[in-house]
Amino acid sequence: MSKQTNDQQTVIQYLLGALPEAEAERLDELSLTDDEFADAVAIAEKDLVDAYVQGELAGADLDRFNSHYLASPRRRENVYFAQAFHAFAETNERPPAAEVSADDTTSVATKRKRPGWLSALLGGGAPRPRWQWGAALAALALLVVGGWLAFERARPRPQVARTQARQDASAQREQEAQNQPERERSANTQTSDEAAQAQRREQPAQEPQQNDSQVSQHATNGQQQSKPPGRISVASFVLTPQVRGGGQVATVNVPPGTDYVAVRLELEPNEFQSYRVALLDSDGQRALWRSGRLKASVAGDGKTIGVRFRAGLLKRQTYVLRVEGVAADATTEIVDAYPFRVVR
Amino acid sequence: MLGRKSGWTLSARAFQRLLDWLDEGVSSDGQKYLEMQRRLASYFDRKDCALPDELADETLNRVARRLEEEGGVIESDAPARYCYIVARFVFMEHLREARRNGQAPLDDARAQARAVHASPPGETDEKEFAEKRLNCLEQCMEELKPPNRTLILRYYTGRQRIKIENRRALAEELSLTMNALSIRACRIREKLEACVRRCAGAA
Repeated sequence: MSKQTNDQQTVIQYLLGALPEAEAERLDELSLTDDEFADAVAIAEKDLVDAYVQGELAGADLDRFNSHYLASPRRRENVYFAQAFHAFAETNERPPAAEVSADDTTSVATKRKRPGWLSALLGGGAPRPRWQWGAALAALALLVVGGWLAFERARPRPQVARTQARQDASAQREQEAQNQPERERSANTQTSDEAAQAQRREQPAQEPQQNDSQVSQHATNGQQQSKPPGRISVASFVLTPQVRGGGQVATVNVPPGTDYVAVRLELEPNEFQSYRVALLDSDGQRALWRSGRLKASVAGDGKTIGVRFRAGLLKRQTYVLRVEGVAADATTEIVDAYPFRVVR
Repeated sequence: MLGRKSGWTLSARAFQRLLDWLDEGVSSDGQKYLEMQRRLASYFDRKDCALPDELADETLNRVARRLEEEGGVIESDAPARYCYIVARFVFMEHLREARRNGQAPLDDARAQARAVHASPPGETDEKEFAEKRLNCLEQCMEELKPPNRTLILRYYTGRQRIKIENRRALAEELSLTMNALSIRACRIREKLEACVRRCAGAA
């Protein structure tokens, strides 16, 4: 074991209150007097909390985390932040490559491992590890299986939807192999086929095997009723602009128990700097929900905007998300409309 | 709560002396003070003290008082080490006081933790808090400069080996050592955490 790893382990044990008193006191002093060590502690603490939130702690470390680290309200705040941060990271598309220079295959694979708009569970309330994560992952699996549709459109669309189609397809195949209930299977059959076709066409990059097997396992254990209190479940999907002259209306599966629906809308090219989005009922007359002013994210050579609203607004029917561009003089103009049909 | 040293309050002059002394001759615009306050609060928190920020302030007040008594110079120790020595005294006093009241701080904090686990607030409350925090995070992320936003999203996402590889690639792209990248990401995250705390507290 390298010295650095060894030191990291010592810092972790220090944070978990697992060091002998004399050693802990020595590190207490260093944490105040030595800039390098103070940085190392701050860095290690964030990674430790992230590991806990991402379910990577096990054994004695997890026990110490539960019994020692979570004893402090201040430290629990760190956990709450990490839960929110990872939920945010997962429900937002990957950072634009332009800002961070070119990707290598590793980082591409990483981002594909946990797709931005697949689904996410948001942490809230007091951290309740182990059983909580089991249930959260089970709920995640449910969303993966039942709550996500990839959309194959008549024209080629940007990478976002295609990447998700690939992932949905692999989760779907695994899930179907595990005797998925008939109700869920029928709701997703078309998606599965389309996504599988998309996958074959795209010749996807190598994805870590571990990822698929995780999804499979969660799906097997998926128990819709086990979502723990305080967790927010979000069904996420991407909508592409309607093909001119009509076209197929996207179908969206919002599983029972979903709290929020998060939608990323791919925009047609336009010059607006900010936007407003309204959720309209099927005839487009009544707004059920309106966003504030939104800025678009740049994704490849296009722009997207993300919105989130309560799933309770949606019943089994067709809706339209209407996007208006807001001009500098605050006047608005409709730029896109995204009809979608909800199944539950 | 720990009894404060009687009859002394921190004046503007004493505070300025404290800032100067912590700066050790190189003006930091108060950053050294803020950093020491943060480190002290973390120290007391790791000791499971119930009110770490107050104990950190008490420590710095005592240091400022000593500085006043010594004409702005304490020669026995470097500032950070002297703060640690005072902090230990403050901690011991806190411990004694807690024991006098029939409760050790560790037991106190752990009992609180158990209580939190045993009877969490209602689901609605938790969801509201979680949603508020998420909304605040979205706002605070917007306030970050785009390169910083991108950096922490890339630095802190992924899992295990993939996360490490991600970070290595990012360090290479930015021509930073891994250590420098870690420090930068950590600082950005701390700012973000502070922003979310402020926002969620105010919301």
